[in-house]
Amino acid sequence: MNCVELHQSLAEVEDSSSAEQQAHLAGCPACSTLVADLNLIISTAAQLREVDEPSPRVWNSIAIALRQERLIRPPGESRSLVASFGSRWGRARWMVPAAAALLILVGIYANQHSLSTRLTRDTYPLPVPAANVAVADAGMNDAELLQEVADRTPFMKMQYEDNLRRVNDYILDAQSTVDANPNDAEARRSLMDAYQQKAMLFEMAMDRSLP
Amino acid sequence: MTDRRQQTDDGLSEAEAIERAKQGDAEAFQALYDRHKRRVYSLCLRMTANTAEAEDLAQEAFLQLFRKIGTFRGESAFSTWLHRLSVNVVLMHLRKKSLPVVSLEETTQNTEEDSPKKDFGAEDLSLAGSIDRLQLQKAVESLPPGYRTIFVLHDVEGYEHNEIAGIVGCSIGNSKSQLHKARMKLRDILRIKRAEKAGKS
Repeated sequence: MNCVELHQSLAEVEDSSSAEQQAHLAGCPACSTLVADLNLIISTAAQLREVDEPSPRVWNSIAIALRQERLIRPPGESRSLVASFGSRWGRARWMVPAAAALLILVGIYANQHSLSTRLTRDTYPLPVPAANVAVADAGMNDAELLQEVADRTPFMKMQYEDNLRRVNDYILDAQSTVDANPNDAEARRSLMDAYQQKAMLFEMAMDRSLP
Repeated sequence: MTDRRQQTDDGLSEAEAIERAKQGDAEAFQALYDRHKRRVYSLCLRMTANTAEAEDLAQEAFLQLFRKIGTFRGESAFSTWLHRLSVNVVLMHLRKKSLPVVSLEETTQNTEEDSPKKDFGAEDLSLAGSIDRLQLQKAVESLPPGYRTIFVLHDVEGYEHNEIAGIVGCSIGNSKSQLHKARMKLRDILRIKRAEKAGKS
């Protein structure tokens, strides 16, 4: 077996374990190096299996779709969200849907006015993060929402803290992309999507926290 | 597969999470997603070499899975079911983009390109001990899509050639040939990178 024949045989006998291959490799440093390199590539490849983490956008989009398709069933199917808060949520009763609606409006505004926002931000400071301000205007910010969740279902608080942090990061990322590329329609859609996801997260948080 | 008995981060076994997801339990869906998201997303990212596409495809794979979860009876491992479904979602996407899932070069005859290279023949340019995961990841991204598909399915995901042949619709011999060529191309890419790096320093 010569070098070319060894090379041809490697597609069929990948581990170069045949007697002919071994005989050639014993006397050929170049082919031994080739085989060692291929083995290194093979062994390193297994490390690529589950190394990357998807962004929070992926789960948020999945969760929204599952709810829209009614695959996730909220507790108390027939209850309306506003009515279900009832007296148990006291002050929060009207704030959550209002906050969610306002978040969507902020998203629409950010989507439509990102160019003018960029042009005027030197004279009018931007609200940062805009989502928090919007919800605060509605009477509830992230901290208050989390406090309500913690009061009702303490074991859910950490999960929603994490989700809120991620979606706020997503909003800031999307906003910075829009700021950098105000004419990018895809970036504006992402920003709108981010606000919608936060609105959905508020509704999910309240919905899932119900006893 | 033993992983069905392993617990998710929420303390649910996979079997419990599946049953609760069938009942529409939001936490169970998220537990299943958290458990498998890295594997599915990494597969999508390796095969597309594009972050946005990979996220869309991972989302699509999980949605398809969750829509069908009511039909899951446990005859096969959940992870096997999910990963095969994910592969199909990615391959369908590549086909829609008219990208070859297998290299158009069907021949198993060796070409000059496949012969042992002499240009970087010095033994001191051996890769041994000098590549890490990130280097290989970048090299895989630069492979032609057809080679990349076979390499990812076999060397990263662990599919056998007969399974790959069934998945992508090629012969077993073609799968072996494409895999070998993919590895040789990777070796060339990595050696060139190494030579460039050595030249700069």
